Parts: sequence; C-alpha cells; structure tokens
Amino acid sequence: MTDTAFAPETPAAQQEPLLEIERLSISFFTRLREIPAVMDFSAKVMPGEALGLVGESGCGKSTVALGVMQDLGVNGRIVGGSIKFCGEDLCTASLDELRRIRGREIAMIYQEPMASLNPAMRVSQQLMEVPMIHEGISEKEAYARALEVVTDVRLPDPERILKSYPHQLSGGQQQRIVIAMALMSKPKLLILDEPTTALDVTVEAAVVKLVKDLGKKYGTSMLFISHNLGLVLETCDRICVMYSGEAVERGDIGDVFDKMQHPYTQALFRSIPLPGADKNARPLIAIPGNFPLPHERPPGCNFGPRCDYFVEGRCDAQDIPMYQVDEHERHETRCIRYEEIDWAAPPEAVVKKEKGQIGDVVLRMENLKKYYEVAASSLFGRGGETKVVKANENISFEAHESETLAIVGESGCGKSTFAKVLMGLEVATDGHIILDNREIGDTPIEKRDTRTIADVQMVFQNPFDTLNPSMSVGRQIIRALEIFGYGKNDGERRERMLTLLDLVKLPRAFAERMPRQLSGGQKQRVGIARAFAGDARIVVADEPVSALDVSVQAAVTDLLMDIQREQKTTLLFISHDLSIVRYLSDRIVVMYLGHIVETGTTEQIFAPPYHPYTEALLSAVPIADTRVQKKEIVLEGEIPSAMNPPPGCPFQTRCRWKSQVPGNKCETELPPYRDLGDGHRSLCWLDDAQLASMEPVIKVAAE
Amino acid sequence: MEALTWAGPTGTFLGPIGLILVIAFAVAVVAMLVLSVVAAPEAVRTGRDLAARPSGAFGLSEAAVRWTGLALLGYVVVWLIAGIVLPYGQAGIIGAVIKRFLPVWIALALTFGLSLAFKRRLGLYGKLFDSTIGMIGFGLVMFWVFTAAFAGLFDWVATHQPLTAVSGLKNEVPGVPMPQAEVVGPGAHYLFGGDNLARDVFSRMVYGSVIVIVIAPFATIFAFMVGITLGLPAGYYGGRLDMFLSFLANLILAFPVILLFYLLVTPEMVQTGLPSYMAMALFIFPLIFAAVFINSRWHTQPKVRTPILIVVLAVLGIVYLSAISQRGTPLNFLPGWLDLFNIPGGILVVFVSVVFVNSPTVFRIVRGLAMDIKTRDYVAAAQTRGEGPWYIMLWEILPNARGPLIVDFCLRVGYTTILLGTLGFFGLGLPPESPDWGSTINLGRRLLSIYPHPAIVPAVALLSLVLGLNLLADGLREESLKD
Repeated sequence: MTDTAFAPETPAAQQEPLLEIERLSISFFTRLREIPAVMDFSAKVMPGEALGLVGESGCGKSTVALGVMQDLGVNGRIVGGSIKFCGEDLCTASLDELRRIRGREIAMIYQEPMASLNPAMRVSQQLMEVPMIHEGISEKEAYARALEVVTDVRLPDPERILKSYPHQLSGGQQQRIVIAMALMSKPKLLILDEPTTALDVTVEAAVVKLVKDLGKKYGTSMLFISHNLGLVLETCDRICVMYSGEAVERGDIGDVFDKMQHPYTQALFRSIPLPGADKNARPLIAIPGNFPLPHERPPGCNFGPRCDYFVEGRCDAQDIPMYQVDEHERHETRCIRYEEIDWAAPPEAVVKKEKGQIGDVVLRMENLKKYYEVAASSLFGRGGETKVVKANENISFEAHESETLAIVGESGCGKSTFAKVLMGLEVATDGHIILDNREIGDTPIEKRDTRTIADVQMVFQNPFDTLNPSMSVGRQIIRALEIFGYGKNDGERRERMLTLLDLVKLPRAFAERMPRQLSGGQKQRVGIARAFAGDARIVVADEPVSALDVSVQAAVTDLLMDIQREQKTTLLFISHDLSIVRYLSDRIVVMYLGHIVETGTTEQIFAPPYHPYTEALLSAVPIADTRVQKKEIVLEGEIPSAMNPPPGCPFQTRCRWKSQVPGNKCETELPPYRDLGDGHRSLCWLDDAQLASMEPVIKVAAE
Repeated sequence: MEALTWAGPTGTFLGPIGLILVIAFAVAVVAMLVLSVVAAPEAVRTGRDLAARPSGAFGLSEAAVRWTGLALLGYVVVWLIAGIVLPYGQAGIIGAVIKRFLPVWIALALTFGLSLAFKRRLGLYGKLFDSTIGMIGFGLVMFWVFTAAFAGLFDWVATHQPLTAVSGLKNEVPGVPMPQAEVVGPGAHYLFGGDNLARDVFSRMVYGSVIVIVIAPFATIFAFMVGITLGLPAGYYGGRLDMFLSFLANLILAFPVILLFYLLVTPEMVQTGLPSYMAMALFIFPLIFAAVFINSRWHTQPKVRTPILIVVLAVLGIVYLSAISQRGTPLNFLPGWLDLFNIPGGILVVFVSVVFVNSPTVFRIVRGLAMDIKTRDYVAAAQTRGEGPWYIMLWEILPNARGPLIVDFCLRVGYTTILLGTLGFFGLGLPPESPDWGSTINLGRRLLSIYPHPAIVPAVALLSLVLGLNLLADGLREESLKD
C-alpha cells in the first residue's frame, strides 16, 4: 500500500458536492404523535471539506447523521427531502447498495468508544473485518493495512495494540482504534458524532489533532457533530448551526464566528466563557427561556420566544426560509431581520455585580493523604499481597469565606477522592481537614453532627442522576430540611422549601413535579437548592455544569455565583473546563495523579510561569474565538496508573520540559513546592531562568 | 332430562362457521410465514417507504391474517352473546358455562372499559393497554381473579358445592343431567361432568381458583419481603455480609425443591415443629420491613414516628402471633381469645415452603439491582446529607428498582401457581379432598385414558392462569421500556 493510494482526489472531482442534503425532514413516530426532529435541513459537503454541525442537545444534529446513514430505527422516518451521496439518492437506495456504502464510503464514529467496539473480539480482528468484508482482500493484506492505520493514529507499539482486547486499552486509545476502524476502508466521508465528549481535555486535544491531520492526509470529507464551538473552530472549514430541528445559520467558519447573522448564534457565543477575555469586560449572558419541545415549537421562527430582536407579527407570522447573506459567499441565515440588526453592537449593559468580600479561612487542608489498599484476592483478603493506590498525596490548601476555589484536573487525578474525604464518605489516611478550627478529616459522616453535615454539601455532576426519580422535587428538598433539623413542623419546612425554589429561580409549582418532568438545567437547580437547604457554608460543586448545554451552563453558573454572593459561601469548584474556571474562580488548584502540581490565584495560573502540566492543560482547551492563538502542546502517552505511579515527579513521564532539568532529578526525586511569589506555588524542578523563559499559551491577537 | 351437548342447537350452524374460520386463519398464518421467508428482501422497508403497505403476495397474506383473525374474534364475541342471551341449554354446555361466568364478564368489561378510557392517566398500568399481549395476559389473569372473588365471597359462578357427591354421576361425561332435577336451569347438569367421587368437575375448578388466587400472590409477597429485606443490605454493603447471604441463598437454591417439600410435610417433621419455626422466622420479615421502613423515614420527627410505629407494629404483631401460634403444634402460646385465626396446618406448610424456595431468587435480583443503583448520584447525595443506610436502601434504592421487580413479581406468581399445582399433584400439604387444581389433576390422572375430563379441566385452568401471568409480565416489560 503506497501513500498515493490515500492521496486526495483530483481537482476535477471537486466540482461535485460529495454529500448534498436538500430540504431534509425527519420525524419520529411515537404512540401519541409524530415528532418532527429535523425540518427543512440542507447542507453540502465538498470533497476534502469538513463541515461542523453545532447545536444544543435535542436540536437534531445526531438525527441528521443517522439520516445520512439511513439508520433511523423502527419509528424514525424521512418525511421529505433528499440525501445525495456522490449523486446517488440514499433515501431510495436498496439495502444492498446501502450495505456497500456504509462503512466503505461513509464511516461513522460515535461518542462512546467502548460501546463501538466489540469487547469479545481482538482489536486486529475488528479492524481486519472491515476491508475483508468490503473489498474481499486477503487476511494478510488486511493485517498489513490494520498495522498501517494503527500506526497512523499514533498508537504506541501497534503490534501489541492489535493483539489486545478493547478493555485493555484506555478511553483515548479506544477512540483512536474506532477512528482507525473508520479509516480502514478509506471512506470518502467520515461522520463524527461528538467523538471526544467522553474523553479528558488533553486526550481530546490529541484526538482532535489526529482527526484533523488524518483528514488532510487521506483527503476525507468530514461531518463533525459537536456542541463545542471551540472544537468545531479547530477542526472544520464550514459550520452549520442548528436550533430546534432547523439549520439557522450556515457558512464558512470565519464568517459565522466573526460576522454572525443569526441571533441564536450570537446568543450562543455570548453564553460561553472565553479564556482569553476578562469576566468583567465580557460577562456571560444566558439565553432566557427554555429549548422548545419538538411538539411545542412556536409558529414562525423557532428561536423567536427567546430572541432579543423578536418583533411580533413578523417573526411569528410565517415560516422563515433561509436567506443568502450578500456580502459572504455561501453564508445563509434563517433570520427575517438579519439585514436590520446591528450585529456589531455590544450586548446591552448588564448590571455589574459586586464581588463578595473574601473573608477568613474557613477550611484548611494539611498534608491530606488518602490511600486505598487493593487486595490481590478478595476472597482471602487478609493474606496475600496488597497493593496501595495513592489517590491523594500531600494535599494542602486553604479556602476562605465567599471564595471560589477551583480544583482542576483530569479523570484519575484524585479530585473526586478528595471530595469524598471532605464530605466524610471516606476517612483520610493521614493529614488534617480543619473546618473552623475543628478537625473533621478522621470523622466519618455517621459521626459528624448535623451542623457540620449541613455546612459541607455537594452539587453533583450528572443532572439526570442527581435527583431520585421516584420522589417529587419538593419532597426531596423537604427531606434534606428534615435531616438538617430545620423547622418545627411540616408547614415551616414547606415554606422554606418554596423559598429555596425561589432562590434557585424555579417556579414554586415545580414542588409537585417529578424529576423526569424537568430539563437538565432545572434538575441541576433543584440539586443546588437541596445543597443549600441547610445554609451550607462550603459547597463542593463536582463539575456542576459540564453535562449541561452551553446556553444553560451560563445560567446555572450565574446562579451559583449569585447565591455565593448572597450567602458568603465557599465554593469548591471541581472541573476540567479551564474556560469556566477562569470565568468564575478566585484561586485555582491544579491536580495531577494525586498531587497538587500548582496553586495560585487565577491570574497567576493563567499567565506564565506555568507548571508544565498546567501549560499542556491550557493548550488543550478548545477556544471558540478566532482571535485567540494557542501554542500547540500535545501530551504524549497516557496518565500513569495511580496503583503504579512513576518515581520522582508524577508528571515526568509526559513532561516536555524534563530535558531542561540537569541530572535525572525529575525521575528520582519528588520536587519541592516552590513559592513563585504571592502564594503561587508549583511542584517542579525547573529553575527561575527556565520558568521565566515560558511564553503565554493563549494569546489574543490585537484587533 | 336430556344431557347437554357441547354446543346445543345453536352449534348446528355456528359450529361449521367456526371450523371454516379456524381453517382459514391457520392457512393465512402458514402462508404468511412461508412468504415472509421467501420474499424477505422486498419485505424490508427503509426510509419513507415505511409508511406504505407492502404489496405482492406477502402483503396479501398479511392482510388475510389480519382479517381472518378479526373474524375469529368476532365469532368468539358472537358465542359470548349467544351464551348469555339464549335460554339455558339452547347453546349447549358452552352457552351454559358462559352464562355461569356472567358476573365475571361484566366485571371484566367494566375493568377494561374504564382502563381504556383513562389509560393516559394511569401510568404504567395504563400503558399496558397499548400492548395486545399485555391486554390478553391481563384479561386472563383478571378472569381468574374475578372468578375466585365471586366464588369465594358470594358462592356465585359454581353450580354445586365442591365436596358434594351425587350418586350415579361418577366419572360421567360433560353435560350429564342431575338424576333428581326437575327444572331445566342452572345446576341441572354437571357441566364438565363428574369426577371419580361423583363430584362436579366444573364447580371444583371454580373453587380451586380461590385457593390458587389467595395463596400464590400472598406467598410471593412474603418471598419478596424476605428477599428485599436481605437483598438490599447484601447489595448495598457488599463485602462479607454479601458473601455470607449469597452463599446461603445458593445453598437453598442448590437443594432439590421437591425433596425439600417432601421433607417439610412429612408428619415427623411437622411433629418436631420445623415448619412452625420456619414460619416464625419467615413471617417476622414483614414486621422488620415495616418497622425499618417507617423508622428510617420519620426518625427525625419522633412525635410523628412513634405513634405510627406503635399502631403498625401492634396490628402486624397480632397478625404475626396469630399466624404462627397454632393448636396442635409446638408453637401454641397465645390464649384462644387473642388468636385471631388459625391457618390450617397444610396450608401453612405449603406457604412456608413456597416462600422458602422463592426468596433466594428474589434476594439475588434485589441484590443485583441494589449494587447497580447504589452508584447513582442521588444515593451519594443522600449519603452526604447524613442519611442512614436503611433510609437509602428503602427510600432511595428500592423505589427505583420497582420496574424489574414488578415484572418479576408477575412471573413469580406464575411460578408459584405451578409450584402449588406440583405440591397438590404430589399430595403434599393440602388435604386430599381439596379442590385445588394440582390435587384435582392428580385425582383425575389415574383414569386419564378412560375419562380424561376430570384432569383436563383443571389442567387447562392452570395453564390459562400461568399463561396470562407470563403474558402480563411480557407486556409490562415491553411497555415499561417504551416511552
């Protein structure tokens, strides 16, 4: 197999669009009614082009992908329009034709890598199957090609990887295998449905870079589905923004990002935090209202009820068609007023909120350690070897009243263990947790008094899991009040529950609702109300908004900040999303493999000198701003297992600065916490001169 | 008086029509099955063609099945109406039986009418009426439930007493007239014939349903109480407790069930009081369950909790003590005035053994569900606000495990029904003259080759009830997965 085989197609073929979707409408039929999922959707993908499909969950972007694959399930149906692939209409194609096209001409990569691989088959078998079925080539050839593709997706030791089973690989490696599988038959079109959502940021950055490079190398066209505007900016040439089943804006990346012509696109950009900008100069603006349910869409413009530019009698008078924007080529918008709106106008001034005064130290961690013993055999646990997992090593920091302290790190860095110890679900192995001069580190939750429990509460990550599905919202909050000993009787507690609903800006009628009747953002608000039921003073928020849609994220984040200002709460904000951390936190703790590698104020963390890990983390964050330029730092390798950590510095296996340190101190000795001034501390051997030579990762180009 | 034929005078013209319909339906079904294999590639439709009906031979056969099926349903309805409307005897045995079940038909019609009218407001129960399978299953189950209720409470439906023997009717065929009857009307015939002790097979079948319908669900409920009370902590805590309880469950499951029954009901065993002690141990679980349930919910408000707890425990306690204290067994301590009721020894043994063998399976299901649900965030939320383990198990985990448990409950009532039949068949536990289906089948078995009807009638009854329960479970599972 030579490289010429993978070369991009000849220019002559570029005249014809590879994929042409015209006025596509897809509906799902339930026992109650027809639910239109996609309406009047058109898109074109040219050969070698990458089209990004952006929108919030439920907007129909995945349905479009499934429609292209003709895989809509038993109750889904294409009710109008056409999908042409290489000039052939897929809607009328027979099963045999579809079988030929799927996997060979069009390949799809799904969100959950583990679910896309067959756990009972070796990686090599799964990869070789693709060309053997589609092209009928021999086993030997197929193996050669599998080896080549696995090398292409930059997996170390390809032969060993081919021999392994999916569960022996990490999430990032699995996703690379899925990508390799998609590339095995050299497809013309690659559909990626949120391919990196389940991965950590640094892994995500590596996978995205890989996809981009491979797209160029193989000349594959891409349909990239994502809710993350930053990712789309990094990977795609063109973008299509969807809202409630319709494409609302379509155009080149540059045009849409900088000269958007639709209010929804504008609102979307205003609701996401950008790490390049200051939170006072560019406050988040949440989109008011809720996403309409598919069967309750408003007449006329779907975005009308939530739009700042809504004009009654015009926007809701008739269905809005796509308008061609004159100044730009191939830029269309579904807004009837796009010519009248002044797109450059700054957002209406928001009331600037007074920052709460940071008070005394409320919580102090001193050399906190948490080790788990993993028995070699559970049946005869007492004997035999035990391994120690060092989940937390020497965690020390302070948190002040009405301060937001962000704890940043990827999965496996020990941030959840730390939260468990703080909450009392686990007992610290060593060290102290001091809450108001009281030691609570060695007190399990059963032994804590009600006040302590009510003081330290938690907001959970997954909104669909945070509420008991079989208990009404009001009941769940009242239960928390009962446990915290609030009020003398049910009446008082009920009254308090209603004020808590007011606090999180939910209508009081929600008290009677069941959790399944609420949207993700609303559930998360109930979770926040429950955490504040006992006037909590320290709230641990474990990625509270990462599972929410961007427009809702802004609202929930603002709500947390409002409550914090009012109640002087200390917020421990656990997250991997540096954009949002920059937006709301006062101080940041960066964790890696159980260690704190860097702590400091937000400004200190986001400006050089960095800890090498922080530097890589910053570089990995996708930023939805065309003016921002990032230094590209891709971390090689995997996070080492906490069961078998590397000696010396925990980050030494992936550090790009390691060669700068004389001797092999990084590999043998744990670095000290160096004070870089003003409480900025870093766990690194680099000396001052080397630290001073670091350049900022994120640069905002001058306007 | 004349004997009744199966279909009576009505049958002379309804009979052939039925035969033709059945044959037509069978032919259509076979044709559809064959054609679906032959014409497979064209039968698969994708995209927008899904809406269009398939054409060609396969489509034709599909339509034929639909129409002949509907015709058959209509035919059954005609028979039902004919049976009810025509005077006694005009529609033969079938008509007379249909007429006897008149209260059951009315109750069924009311249940279905109301449920269908309000199905959108009835949650999972309402959704059941979207599934044909579920509706059939529910119909079969409710048929027997209503029959048992009317026969047990009002002595309706049955034509004779289950134990009355009428001389001369020994092993007589269905439709045989009573020797002394003068008026032609209900009770003038043994509708399904007589058994080898000259008792009415039809009435025994009807009264047999009472025993099954009472014991099977109750025994299953008890098995669930035991399984839940042990399975929740095993799944929630895990570790050594789980290991110990799972081992115990496996031990019981590994023991041959029938042998266990034989052991339990032998007079020597009953003399030692083993079944009574087992009843003592097993029946305490509902008490523990209720006490923990109430305490975990209201322990923060002692003023509310204590009265509720006292009342519930007092009532349950009396019931419990009455249930385990029996005259003639080693456990006989309650004075007569306090002993509310006595469960006949045989039934107690049956009850105990059914609970004993069913609870380990329930234990394992609950344990697995608890292990899954305990990883949810709402359980973590309950832990971080300092809830006790039993509150988390009973109020956070159990309600969210209800879906699979309800389905399993339906299936398990079915197993229990079969188990009861098996016990009766082996003559274990229940008295030999009992009209329960298992004992009746056993009695009829001896002369099966000459007089099949005494055994076939209860066997078909048992079959239809268990089939109904299984279909109901299928329907519930199917509908609970949809949204």
